[in-house]
Amino acid sequence: MSKRKKPAGATRASTSPAGHPASDSAFSDPTTSDPTPPVALPPLPPHPSTPTTQTEVDYDDHDLLGQADWVIGGDAARKARQQGLYAGYVLFLGALVYGLPIVQAVFRTSDAGSLGQQLRSPVAIALLVASVAALLGAVVFAGRFRGPVVPPMPWIDLVLPAPLDRALALRRWWRYAAVGGLFVGALSGLTVGAGLAFAHLAGVVTVIVTTLVGTALGVLASRLWLWSQVRSWPGPDRSLTLLWRVPDALRELHAESLRAHSANTSTMAGSALTGNLRTARLALTRPVRHGRSARLRAGRPFGVLVRRDVLGLQRTPGAFLSGLGLTLLGGAVITWAFTQPAAPSIAATIGLLPLYLGFGAWSEGLRLQADNVGTPSLLGTTEVTEAVAHVTVPTVLTVAVLGGWLAVAAAVGSLPASALLSLWLVLVLVVAGNVLAAFRGSPTFVLRPQMVAIWYAVPALTVVVLGSVIAVLTKAGSYTWLSAVSWLVYAVLAWSVSKVRRLTYLHRS
Amino acid sequence: MGAVAVLPGEVRAEGVGKTMDETTLLLPTDVSADPGECIVLRGPNGSGKTTLLRIIGGLLAPSTGTATIGGREADERDRAVRAAVAALLGAPTTYRDLTLIDHLVLIDSTWGGDPNTSDDRSQALLDRLGIAHLDDRFPHELSSGQEQLFRLALTFSRPASVVLLDEPEQRLDTAKRQVVATLIDERTASGATVVMACHDPELTAALATRVVEVVPAR
Repeated sequence: MSKRKKPAGATRASTSPAGHPASDSAFSDPTTSDPTPPVALPPLPPHPSTPTTQTEVDYDDHDLLGQADWVIGGDAARKARQQGLYAGYVLFLGALVYGLPIVQAVFRTSDAGSLGQQLRSPVAIALLVASVAALLGAVVFAGRFRGPVVPPMPWIDLVLPAPLDRALALRRWWRYAAVGGLFVGALSGLTVGAGLAFAHLAGVVTVIVTTLVGTALGVLASRLWLWSQVRSWPGPDRSLTLLWRVPDALRELHAESLRAHSANTSTMAGSALTGNLRTARLALTRPVRHGRSARLRAGRPFGVLVRRDVLGLQRTPGAFLSGLGLTLLGGAVITWAFTQPAAPSIAATIGLLPLYLGFGAWSEGLRLQADNVGTPSLLGTTEVTEAVAHVTVPTVLTVAVLGGWLAVAAAVGSLPASALLSLWLVLVLVVAGNVLAAFRGSPTFVLRPQMVAIWYAVPALTVVVLGSVIAVLTKAGSYTWLSAVSWLVYAVLAWSVSKVRRLTYLHRS
Repeated sequence: MGAVAVLPGEVRAEGVGKTMDETTLLLPTDVSADPGECIVLRGPNGSGKTTLLRIIGGLLAPSTGTATIGGREADERDRAVRAAVAALLGAPTTYRDLTLIDHLVLIDSTWGGDPNTSDDRSQALLDRLGIAHLDDRFPHELSSGQEQLFRLALTFSRPASVVLLDEPEQRLDTAKRQVVATLIDERTASGATVVMACHDPELTAALATRVVEVVPAR
């Protein structure tokens, strides 16, 4: 509301040089001749009960925000904002030191011609489009819980209630996200383009094109993120046109929504730092409301547990679809990596992560079993039987997806037996990794962010590292080493089973 | 779940106490209960009633003394103990994607209940507790009182020779407390042993075979 429209003839509240309305002079003692300038006070809005000739008051929003900034943080607030520049600098260095070599490794192969042809094939383009769509979808999904505009709680409670233009009051947080999206998009595009160029798969023009496309996608992603945050709270204007009407989108953000997103941020940060992932999961998942008329059919213990998971996926279609999308993507890349000689070995590394995450999206039953650890026994099955029942549905679904991709690979080319063996090992790894993840318990060491991050990543890292080794050995035809690694894979499976037992009974001691 | 010994509901806790670091949670206490009895643990907040129940249920190892169920050490890792003890100690974690009736059918099935009559049994239990009309709700859609009734339904839906309850009356109105009293009475009448912490004098008077006073550490 920086410039409200006034009716004709309305008296404007004159403003002193210091930016205070002239009416502020009422606060100074007229009997004193103290030359000290009056203490800065915010302009008073006209109280309904106060007789006044004014119908509206103009506020200098920038001045008010400047005062709020000074009161809350002083110079420290400005310095804190400058830390964003440092983060960008670190990100740039990271892309240069790690991003570029990784992308080069991705496209490095002994058969650049075949790889180039495959990358230009309709299937590869469709996968690329699907991946970008999935990334944008993930951004929209994240925006429901944690949007780009998340001011600190005191700002929401103390500054936002003032009659300021909300677009202005929230603009800085949006700018952080917008600049971050633009920067990350451009840097990603530049890294991918440069990697392709260094691997002799594309020319210099491609570097420019990928940088521009990356920048555009970064801008689109940040705006979709904001749009999703706006849509997380009911209101009159939730249309897609908010994508290019950013100030209006910011004005649509409700204080309660901002508070919820800020609280979610604290929950996520706290859970990440303490390793208490259950709290974050339960706080951020949408309550289930679908398919309440469907009934769980009674039967034998194992069967009823499996049917429980099927029913759970029916009632959470979002989890089912996200699992399907990730598994389709990961399965496609991994099948390509194992069946196509032109595929670089590192392709398997890239495909393993979405495959692992897709399996995880279907494994809610397993996680809920782990959540129940330490509570009196309600189910009449042993912990291992229950865990095996809970991995049945995700395993069957993953096998179906991998089987589908193998059929495609067989239809378009060869299907070596070594690829089948390696995919079997990858499947065992993914199952074991998800069991490890569900039953990882709580960190038992001194909590430091780096250690918590490593503790959290151990199951995924185990899957990715061992899976990558399998891919390298399969491509090299080192079957002796591959058999040795297969024992390692089964050892990981045994480790996961022991984790189930250990965590189940750990609480007693 | 394979061959598991069926333990009689003889509960013995002799001089069980619990100390963690420097803090005493429970002074050495004796509890003895035989099948068909209902033992009420009484004491002020913080006296260690829940700790005592957790020790009897085998969820917590005592620092001093011994606790046994049917002559075996009370240890939740023992399948026979697990099969014998049903307990409502705090809030059980529920499946967020299962309705109330689904939960009861799941529990009934995993304990070998007849699949043909599982639905009827589950519905009847919900009906007894006055929440049959909520059978297609998810646990997060219940009020706190309804949630307590659902937790009791979860506990009573599985077979057990020993039932441990931590303040089963909490958040319930007078009529519902009567319903719970009847359910507990039926359990003891059928030969089960009930040990419960309770602050309701009427419920205690109606159900208790004996009252064990749990003395606070300080």
